[in-house]
Amino acid sequence: MFIDIHVHPAFYEPINRDPRREELRHEALNIHKNGTAPLEHIFNQMRCAGLDKLCLLPEDYTSTVGCALVENEEIRRLVDLAPDKFIGFASVDPLQPDAADKLEDAFSRLKLKGLKLHPGRQHFMPSDPRLEPIYQLCERYDKPVLFHSGLSWEPDTLTSYCHPLAFEPVAQRHPRLRICLGHFGWPWIRESAMLMVKYANVYADTGALYFDNAREFYTQTFTRDIPITWIDRSLRHQVLFGSNNPRFEQIRMAQAIGELGLRESTLELIRGRNAVDFLGGLD
Amino acid sequence: MYVKTIRILTKQYVELDVITPQVEAIVAESGVQNGMVTVLTKHTTTGITVNEALECLESDIAVALEQFAPEDRPYSHARMLKDYGSTAGNPTGHLKALLTGNHCHFLIQEGQLQRGGAQDVYFCEFDGPAQRNILVIVEGQP
Repeated sequence: MFIDIHVHPAFYEPINRDPRREELRHEALNIHKNGTAPLEHIFNQMRCAGLDKLCLLPEDYTSTVGCALVENEEIRRLVDLAPDKFIGFASVDPLQPDAADKLEDAFSRLKLKGLKLHPGRQHFMPSDPRLEPIYQLCERYDKPVLFHSGLSWEPDTLTSYCHPLAFEPVAQRHPRLRICLGHFGWPWIRESAMLMVKYANVYADTGALYFDNAREFYTQTFTRDIPITWIDRSLRHQVLFGSNNPRFEQIRMAQAIGELGLRESTLELIRGRNAVDFLGGLD
Repeated sequence: MYVKTIRILTKQYVELDVITPQVEAIVAESGVQNGMVTVLTKHTTTGITVNEALECLESDIAVALEQFAPEDRPYSHARMLKDYGSTAGNPTGHLKALLTGNHCHFLIQEGQLQRGGAQDVYFCEFDGPAQRNILVIVEGQP
């Protein structure tokens, strides 16, 4: 089982019938010239990458952009089109008064499997008390939170809100809440590793490719910025494969993760078993 | 001028697809009896070439192009592209497309493509899978 925990479906054809909405997504996500993708193309990509399932992440930017770029209902629609391939996450804007209600609806009615939040783009500190009802709901429903962490290529983002250390209060106050630092918190790889070795409920995904090609960047990040032994020996149950597709190169990243010199048993965990644990199981 | 687009969803990273039948069908529906047809890919990591449609040659072409632009070379193009908002991972596709070129022409006489017995039109994918568009431009007299 090979799972990509970090995929943005904003340009999937079934949810892009309105050209104005598509254009808004290009501008707000700062992803251009990629067009829209029919699901058949997505499945072709998955086959080339060897992937079995994708976690689809929406973005509710009501406070900063004026709307959700991808709605939770759209995620549900996509999952229903390929329930064997797609796992749907929810998004809420924590600064909106209806955030908790919307999240409860996403978990109870839409049956979404987790929550995606982007502190840098949604302009909140993870430790902000206004987030407490959100975290408590996730704990009550046993759903994980995948945070954007580290550098964001989206406009109007504040990186300090996404520093790995900003997530420590959440990990410490909510030991039963599984949280994932998206993009491994790049460039703060060591800080992410520190949180992971200290808190068993902290995971990180590999969705980082900010320089060079996938093989070169993964080699730099996971064998030089930190030694590969840190992952292979100590963090092997907390690292999830993620590509951040379509911004990054899903197929090449899926190949590059296998070329780092990790034990085969560690690769098996990173490719799928850790994601299943993070998600609290598959349906 | 009669213009139509062939749309292809490629399935592999590198693939060579014979598109002669689609090109001939577009020439036929254009009604042009004497003129020229141009087949032009709209992408920079794909190519259009003319060659003999044999499995062995397709394999040799793919291997030769791979030797010309191996995946593990340190390419300058492997970097974040700000106007895409994404990382470029496809320098080899650009370089392979350099060799095949992006178009071909054929003479049309009495409504027929004047191609040699071994000539077929290939669409070449060098950065798939992807959604691709190929222009077929027919010019001439009905």
